[in-house]
Amino acid sequence: MALTSNKLYVLIATACCVGYAWLFFNISENFTDSNNFTVCLFKEVTHVPCPSCGTTRGVISLSKGHFLEAIYTNPFSVIIAAIMIIAPIWIVLDVVRKKRTLFQFYQKAEKLLIKPKIAIPLIVLVLLNWIWNIAKGL
Amino acid sequence: MEAQKVDMFIMSNGKYFESHHVNAIRNSLIAADDSKWPMLSVTQFNDPSTILIVSIFAGQLGIDRFMIGDTGLGVGKLLTCGGLGIWAIIDWFMIQSATREKNMEKIQRILG
Repeated sequence: MALTSNKLYVLIATACCVGYAWLFFNISENFTDSNNFTVCLFKEVTHVPCPSCGTTRGVISLSKGHFLEAIYTNPFSVIIAAIMIIAPIWIVLDVVRKKRTLFQFYQKAEKLLIKPKIAIPLIVLVLLNWIWNIAKGL
Repeated sequence: MEAQKVDMFIMSNGKYFESHHVNAIRNSLIAADDSKWPMLSVTQFNDPSTILIVSIFAGQLGIDRFMIGDTGLGVGKLLTCGGLGIWAIIDWFMIQSATREKNMEKIQRILG
């Protein structure tokens, strides 16, 4: 599956749609019930939270304006929220202007992320976040 | 390149590529210059079976995608908990052919 620009746009758009649907599903759910409901395979199998567990709760508290609470639940939620807001706008702008700036950005970011100088600190950060998640018992 | 050399390469590395690509690879290898051989013989291809095992156990964290060089998709999988667990399961079935496609891209980069 070589990632062409069209595929990338469809993929990101679909991901955003699923993300928003998931978010609304979780907001409309009763909160005490939704805490027991998880789709995370890792958590189901091992009963240990994965690095991105708590992101949904984080995004929900972010949507209510509790920034610090979101950071405390999972810092990933800020990144996810930013992507979910920016990506659809970027895609629409690209489609309207018939440019491929998002695709070019994606390729540049991919090349940048693979460099050990950048990749290793990021991996360490993810691991630290994971340890924090386990310590918090999400 | 000599046909014998090419066939030896195909025999030992054929499993890393989609079966419908093998013939095209053979033809382009025969047409290729001999100077590509040293580069080609030291190139490491990702084994689809290994990546499948990684995908089953660590697909949730996107490590399979990172390993085959799809960094962007790997980050996406990591941040979204394996795409709410659904993408991780879909990838159990997709990752082998994705790996072979990536290997194809790799060999094309060497030959191109």
